[in-house]
Parts: sequence; structure tokens; C-alpha cells
Amino acid sequence: MTRLVMTLWVGALVTLLYVPIVSVVLASLANTRYMRFPHKDWTTSAYAEAIASHTTWQIHIISLNIALSVSVLAVILGTLGAMAFARYDWRGQGWFRRILVLPIFFPQPVLGLALLLSFTAAGIPPSWKTAVIAHLVWIVPIVTLVVSIRLFGYDVAQEEAASDLGATRWQVFKEVTLPQLAPGIVSGGLFAFLLSWANLPLSAFTSGADTPLPVWLFTRTATNYSPLVPAVSVIGTVVSAGIVLLAIAALALIRRRT
Amino acid sequence: MRSPGFWFAAPVIAFLTLAFALPIGIVAWTSLMPPRTFDLSLPPTIANYTAAITEGYGRPLMWSVIGATFTTLVTMLLAWPTAVILHRHAGRWAIVVAILIALPVFISESVRLFGLSVFLMPRGGILAGSLQAVFGLQIGSIQNSWPGALLGMVYIHFPFMLFPLILGISLIPKDRIEAARDLGANRWQVLCEVELPLAAPGLAIGALLTFVLCLGANAEAAILGGRAVTVITAAIEQRFGYAQDWPAGSALTVMVIAITAAIVLPVLARLDFDRLTKR
Repeated sequence: MTRLVMTLWVGALVTLLYVPIVSVVLASLANTRYMRFPHKDWTTSAYAEAIASHTTWQIHIISLNIALSVSVLAVILGTLGAMAFARYDWRGQGWFRRILVLPIFFPQPVLGLALLLSFTAAGIPPSWKTAVIAHLVWIVPIVTLVVSIRLFGYDVAQEEAASDLGATRWQVFKEVTLPQLAPGIVSGGLFAFLLSWANLPLSAFTSGADTPLPVWLFTRTATNYSPLVPAVSVIGTVVSAGIVLLAIAALALIRRRT
Repeated sequence: MRSPGFWFAAPVIAFLTLAFALPIGIVAWTSLMPPRTFDLSLPPTIANYTAAITEGYGRPLMWSVIGATFTTLVTMLLAWPTAVILHRHAGRWAIVVAILIALPVFISESVRLFGLSVFLMPRGGILAGSLQAVFGLQIGSIQNSWPGALLGMVYIHFPFMLFPLILGISLIPKDRIEAARDLGANRWQVLCEVELPLAAPGLAIGALLTFVLCLGANAEAAILGGRAVTVITAAIEQRFGYAQDWPAGSALTVMVIAITAAIVLPVLARLDFDRLTKR
């Protein structure tokens, strides 16, 4: 393969991956009942309408509740899981590793439906809280893997040195292990937030009357076109990117202070 | 006393038992209840499974299996050369391209599929509208058809094939290929007898992930396929919701889970995690 062919191949592929995303932005720049591209009137009035709409705020707040709860819980469970996955060698580790990745290799809508049936059988009405549980089944394994990457090639000697110097188990974990894991935990948390924010198949069946952003967009898209859909799509994506950038900036600031 | 590894694993195991294993058990049990009942304490029967097979629910299952197989093969053909280029030839551009390909994964499926649908929309869509305005060309559209849904599945799942495949290709030592070439192997022989077997773990993970995710995929058929075909998730949803027949829906769910398990478990059992991570 020549250099040119390779560049063209990769370039074309990346371009194609972004075509739908650019299309959403283009579609959002009109406010007509039916999509007629190229637009006669290019306008941002759909954005103004979307921001003025109560629904837009509501679906964002629900998505935010879910994604924040998922991030916090997934980071706690995932960090503990990573210690078992990669830090210690123990009997049963082989099984633990295989069981842990099972939810990733599982059709998500099927998981959502199974959980919906179980919640209903247990008399728990579906809401954003049950959606959090559904997201965690899929996201905890992912966060565990992300944190585990930090633990491969981790030097156990530091922990041993700390305990030889009289540190308790908890002190060793807090003072030696956690700081080492911190970058993995941060990436795990950000992954959890973004994946939860964007998730459609699990939320679609488990969030009940609380409609998160992706579910609202999906239902509107599958039923009928509305100029609000592309505008809300763009707003939702920008909001999640903004939250992640803010989190990264805040963490960098804290790091510099300490 | 148990080792610390066990205690660190315990919370995760407890959570997955309650929120993953137990729901599967409940669905399996519900699938054995008589049709159209909501009581879980009746004597078990296999009526739902016989009904699922005789009442034509084999069809949605078949569409989903065909769609998943097709998507797995197509993404594999697209991802293999891409992974080879990124791993061996792209140099410091590799990381930039990898990030560009990974980023859309964090944008909701709803948004990206909606984008694909406005791009492909007949007449006023981005593609059809631009061609009409610039060249005066009128084109048809694959939207609201099974090919449209398949395109959506390939689009959404490409990264899930690519990244494991890059991992797989990184497992091939470069000197092996050169050795094979020196010994007179042609390109095809190098691919079949050296590269594919050595990259097998990555290939297996990518194929499993893509196949399983596509098996349950529903949004692509709903948004781009216009329900031209009913996929299995849509059929299950109908049983659970509209038809209010939980045992029948559960039986279909168990059939999907059984297919998934039959494919995933043997591969996972043979996968060596230490080899994948400690290169």
C-alpha cells in the first residue's frame, strides 16, 4: 500500500464518521416544520426555542442526575474491583475477570428489558434511579478495566515499604495506592459520566416516566421530525463536553494547588 | 482468612449478582410461566417456547442474527486495514486518528443515528438536497429500508471492532512477518498463516463485542430502517408492552441470552487476560 492510498483510506473513514454529526449541526440551523436542505432561512431560532422550552431543561436535569450518580458509584465499585482484577493475585481471580467482563458482552436492550421485568416483579416503579442501576451493570466493568490499566506494571514494593515503616493497611491504601491510581480513577469517572450521559438502550427500558436526553431524542426521531430535535441534540452534546472539560480543568487546578 | 483480592472483589460480585445474574434468573423463571399471566408462582411450562417457535418469532430473531453477522463481517473488513495502517504506518498521527475515531462513541447513539437519517433523508435531506441544489441530480434513498438499518449498525459499531483489532495487531511481532516473507510466503499466506492467528485474541474480542451489541440493536432499525423489518428487541418490547404478555417476552429474551452465551462463553473461557495486558 502506498502512503497516499493509506492517507486517503483513513481520511475518508474519519470524514464518514463525522458526516452524521455535521449533518445534525446543519439540520439545527433552520426552524421549519419539514427538513428541506439547503435551508431557505438559516437561523438559530430553533436553539432559542429549545432553551426556552421547559422540556429541554427537564431532560438535561434527569440525564445529569443519572450520569453524576453513575460516575460516583461506578468509580467506588470500579476502583475496588480493579484492586481485585489487577493488584492482587488470588484464588478465583481468573473467574472474577471473566465474570466481570460478561456485562460488556451482553446485548444492552436485553439487559434493560430483563431489569425492567425484575424491577416490576419486585414492585419497584421504574424511574431515573432504576436507570442508574441499569447503567452501573454495564459501566462498573468498564471503569474497573480503565482503572486496572494503571495497576498493570504497578510497583508493589512501595506498599511494602510503607507497611514496613509502620503504616496501617488503610494508610497504605490511602497514602500509597490511591495516589498511584488517581489518573485511572479520573479517566474512569469521566468515561462513566460520558457513557451514562449518551446511553440509549439501557435508559429506554429502565427510566420509566423520567425521560433522559437520549431517550427523548430517540422517541422524537422515531415518531416525527421536529426542528427542536437537532437543536437539542447539539445542546446536549455540548453540555456533556462542557461538563467534562470543566471537570478536567477543576482537577488540574486542585493538582497545582497541592 | 481470605486474601485481600477476594474482599476487594466482593462488592462488585455482590452488585453483579443482584443486578445482572438475578434479573436473568427472574426472566428465565418468568419465561416458564403460562402465557399472559403475571403470577410467578404457577407450575412451570414450556408453552412460551413452543409458541415462540410456531408463532413466527423465529423471524425477528433471524433478522437480528443476520444483521449482527453482516455488521461483524463488514466492520471487520473495514477495520483490519485501518488497524494495520494505524499500528504500523501512521507513526505519531496514530493517536490523533484514534482519538478522532473514539470521540463519536461518547456522543449519544440517538444523536448520531438522527444525523445519519437527516443526511440520508429522501428529497430534503442533506445529501439529496445538496445534490439537487448543486448538480440538479435526483437520487433515491436507502432510508426506511433494511439496508439503511444495516448502514446504521456498521456506522455505530465500527469503533467497537477497530480498537480490539488494533490491540490484536499489536500482538503480532514484526520479525514474524519478515521471517515469513523471507521464507517465500506471499501476502495472502502471511495474512492467513501469520497475522490472523497471532491477532486472533483481538479479532475475537472485536467480533464478539460487535456481534453481541448488534444482536440486541434496536435504534438503527427504528430510526433508519423505519421498522421495515422487526428486530428481536422490538419483538420482545411488543410482548412486554403492547401485548402485555410477559412470559412470552421473557421466552424470547431467554433465547437471545442463550445465543449470546453460546457465543461469548467459549471464547471468554479460552481468552488469556495476562497475555493481553502484560505485553
